[in-house]
Amino acid sequence: MPKDDHQREEKGVTATTAVPTATPAAADTSFAPPRKRRGAGRLPYGLVLPAAVLLALSLGYPLVRQVVLSFHDYGLAQQFGKPADFVGLDNYQELVTDTYLWKVLLRTVAFCLVNAAVTMVLGMAVALLMRLMSGPVRVLVQAGLLLAWAMPVVASLTVWQWLFDTQYGVVNWSLTRLGGDYQGHSWLLHPLSFFFVATVIVVWMSVPFVAFTGYAALTQVSEDLTEAAELDGAGGWQRLRHVVLPSIRPVLLIIGLLQIIWDLRVFTQIYVLQKAGGVTRDTNLLGTYIYRLGIGGGQFGTAAAVAMFMLALTVLMTAPYVRTMLKNEED
Amino acid sequence: MRTFQRNFALATAGVLALGLGLSACGGNDDKADAAGDGGPAKADIRVWLNGTDTPDTAREWLKTTFEKDHPGSTLTIEQQEWEGLVEKLTTSLSSDSETPDVVEVGNTQAPTFTSAGAFSDVSSDLGDWGGDDLLKGFVAGAQVDGKTYAVPYYAGSKYIFYRKDLFEKAGISVPTTMDEFVQAAIDLKQANPEPANFSGFWFPGQDWRNGVAFVWDAGGDLAVKDGDQWKGDLSSPESVAGLETVQKLMEQASGAAKDGNEENPQTPFCAGEVGMLSAPGWVKGLIEDPDSGCPDMVANLGVFALPGSDGQPAPVLLGGSDIAISAKSKNQDLAKDVVGLMLSDDYQKLLAAAGLTPAKNSLASDLGSDEFAQATIAAASNAKLTPAAPGWAEVEGSRVLEDLFVDIAKGGDVQQLAEAADEKITDQLSTS
Repeated sequence: MPKDDHQREEKGVTATTAVPTATPAAADTSFAPPRKRRGAGRLPYGLVLPAAVLLALSLGYPLVRQVVLSFHDYGLAQQFGKPADFVGLDNYQELVTDTYLWKVLLRTVAFCLVNAAVTMVLGMAVALLMRLMSGPVRVLVQAGLLLAWAMPVVASLTVWQWLFDTQYGVVNWSLTRLGGDYQGHSWLLHPLSFFFVATVIVVWMSVPFVAFTGYAALTQVSEDLTEAAELDGAGGWQRLRHVVLPSIRPVLLIIGLLQIIWDLRVFTQIYVLQKAGGVTRDTNLLGTYIYRLGIGGGQFGTAAAVAMFMLALTVLMTAPYVRTMLKNEED
Repeated sequence: MRTFQRNFALATAGVLALGLGLSACGGNDDKADAAGDGGPAKADIRVWLNGTDTPDTAREWLKTTFEKDHPGSTLTIEQQEWEGLVEKLTTSLSSDSETPDVVEVGNTQAPTFTSAGAFSDVSSDLGDWGGDDLLKGFVAGAQVDGKTYAVPYYAGSKYIFYRKDLFEKAGISVPTTMDEFVQAAIDLKQANPEPANFSGFWFPGQDWRNGVAFVWDAGGDLAVKDGDQWKGDLSSPESVAGLETVQKLMEQASGAAKDGNEENPQTPFCAGEVGMLSAPGWVKGLIEDPDSGCPDMVANLGVFALPGSDGQPAPVLLGGSDIAISAKSKNQDLAKDVVGLMLSDDYQKLLAAAGLTPAKNSLASDLGSDEFAQATIAAASNAKLTPAAPGWAEVEGSRVLEDLFVDIAKGGDVQQLAEAADEKITDQLSTS
C-alpha cells in the first residue's frame, strides 16, 4: 500500500508542477475581452466535472461516513451488525478533556515540522550538489537515491530495525568499537531517542523525492539570470538566496506542502518501530493513536473523532501554503 | 483534470485516506445470512493459521484429506502473524468479500470476537467434534449466553528452558520454588559476567505474557469483576508484589533488551547469552533446526515447569488457540467439515507429535513421556486464562501491558505504574 501511495502522490505532483506553465495562459485570458472569456470558460467546467464527481464520491463519501461515525458509540459489536447508538458530541468531549490527545497532537506537529524541515534542507542540498557533479558521479548518486526511494517501506524498516537493534545492531557495535559505551544501548527506549531514529528513517525515505524534484526545477533556472547576477558581483550564497531559490519558489512550495502532509500522517515507520521497542504510549503520533484506538482497541467512534482532529490539523497547517500558492497563480 | 482540484485534494488526501480505512471497516451494515443455507457444495475454503505453530505435516494432511473428501473443493492455508492478529481479524472478519472461512485465534483473544458476533454458532456440532473430551476451559471461554462460538485447537503453556552445563558450573540445582527460581536466575547472571548482556533469566521488557505468571503466583490478577464491571487489578498489594519480582528479575537477572519483545528466543539462546528462558514447547524445534538454531546445544538443554511459591507449578498463562468459523463466510457447511477434520484424532495426533497439547483430553498421552512432555503437562496443570472480560482483546490490542512492563524494566515506580495501567484497563473494559 505505501508504494501505491507514493505512485499516486507522484502523479499528483506531476500534475501540480504544470502550474507555472499554465499561469501565463490564465493571465492572458483575464485581459482578453469578456465575450471570448465566457466561451473559453464553459469547456473547462465541462472537463472538470467528471473529475469533480469522482473526487466527491471517493473523498466525500468516506468523509461523511467518518463524521457520522464520530457521533456514534461504535465498537466491535457494532462492526458485526449491532445498531450503533447516537451519542452526539460525547466522543469529542471525552477527547478534548483528555490531556493525552493534546500531547499526541503537539508531538505530531513537532515531529512533522522537524522532519519536513530536515528533509527539505537535505534534499535541496543534494539537488544543488548534483548540479556540480560530473555526469557519471551524478548518475551514481541518482541511482542510489532512486533505490532508497523505490525500496518498499516495510522491507527497509526491517533493515533499519536490525541496524539499530539493541543486542545485535551494527550501529551499537560500531559505536562501541569507536570507544563509546553503546553495548546493549536501546535506541527506542526513550521517546526522544525513538523519534531520532524515526526521523532518520523518514528523512532517508523522503530526501530522494525532494532531491529529484528540486534538481529538475534547478535545471529550469535561467543561466542568463545567474550569470547577470554574477557579473553584478553577487557571491555564491547571494546568488542562491536571491536568484536561484526565488525562481524555483513554486516548486519548493509544492514539495514543502507535500512533505508537511506526508510527515503529518506518518504511520508505518512509527508502527513498526513501536513493535520493535519503546513505549507505545509515549511514542504515539496521531496516525498510530487512531489505529490503536480504532483497529486495535475497537473504539471506532472515538477513533473517527480523533481523525477529525487530524483533518482539522492538516487543513490548518497547509492553509498558509495553499493560500501562497493560489496567490502566486493569480499574480 | 487533476490540476483543477489539486489544492483541495492535496490538503485532504492524506487524512481522507485514513478516513477511508476507518469507514471501510464500518461499512458492512447488511447482516450475514449465516442461518440460511450452508453455502455451495464446492468452494475454495480459506483457512487462517497463525505463526509457525502448526507443523507442516498437519497442514499437508488437512489439505489432502479435505480435498479428497470434497472433490471439486480446494483448501488454502494462509499463514498469519500472531503480532497484530486482533487488528487483522477485526478488519477481515467484518467484510463479506474478504473474510476467511476458518480462523485460528488465540484463546485469550477469542472472547472479544465471540461476544461481538464475529463467529458462527457451532453448539450443535460440538458433540460430533468431541463434546466433553474437548479442553473444558477453552470451550467455556468461547461461550456466550450458553452458545459456543469457537472450539479448542491446541493448548500449550510456556515452560522454562535452561542450560544444564551453566547450572552445573555455577553449582545451581533445578529450582523447586519461586524464591529459589529468582535466586537461581540472579546467581546465574553473576556467575557469567561475560558477555555483558548475559541473562540468568531472559526477560525482554515487552513480555507481559510471561510476567503475568509472577503476578498470579503472588495472588494478584490483571483484572477482576466487581459487580457488573471489570476493573484493572494490577495495583492491588498482591499484584504489586508480583510486579516487583518481575522488576527484580529484569534488573538483576536479565540482559535482554528493556523494550524488546519475546520473539525469536532461540537467537540469544544459541548465542550463549541465556541461562534460562521461558517459551512455548515448540521453541525446542527452533533450537534443533540447523538454520534457525544450534543443534549442538541441544545436549545441554533442560526444561522444567516454572515453580510456584508453594512448590507446585506456578500459574502460568494458559496458552493455546481456538478455531472458529467466520459468521460472514458463505461456505458454512464446508467450513464445519474443515473444523471437524482439525479436531479429528488423526490431525490432533500430528499436533501432539510437534509438542502441542491436543484439544482432546483423551489424546494427552500422545505427547510422549520425555522431559519435555512432563514439563508441558506440569505447566498446563495450574495454568490460568486472562480475564474473561468481553473487551479483553482490546486491552491487548492497545498495548497497555507491553507499556507497563517496559516501564517496569526501565526501573519505574511499580505502584504508580500499576495504578496508571489499571485506570486504562478499567476504562477499556467498561467501554465495550
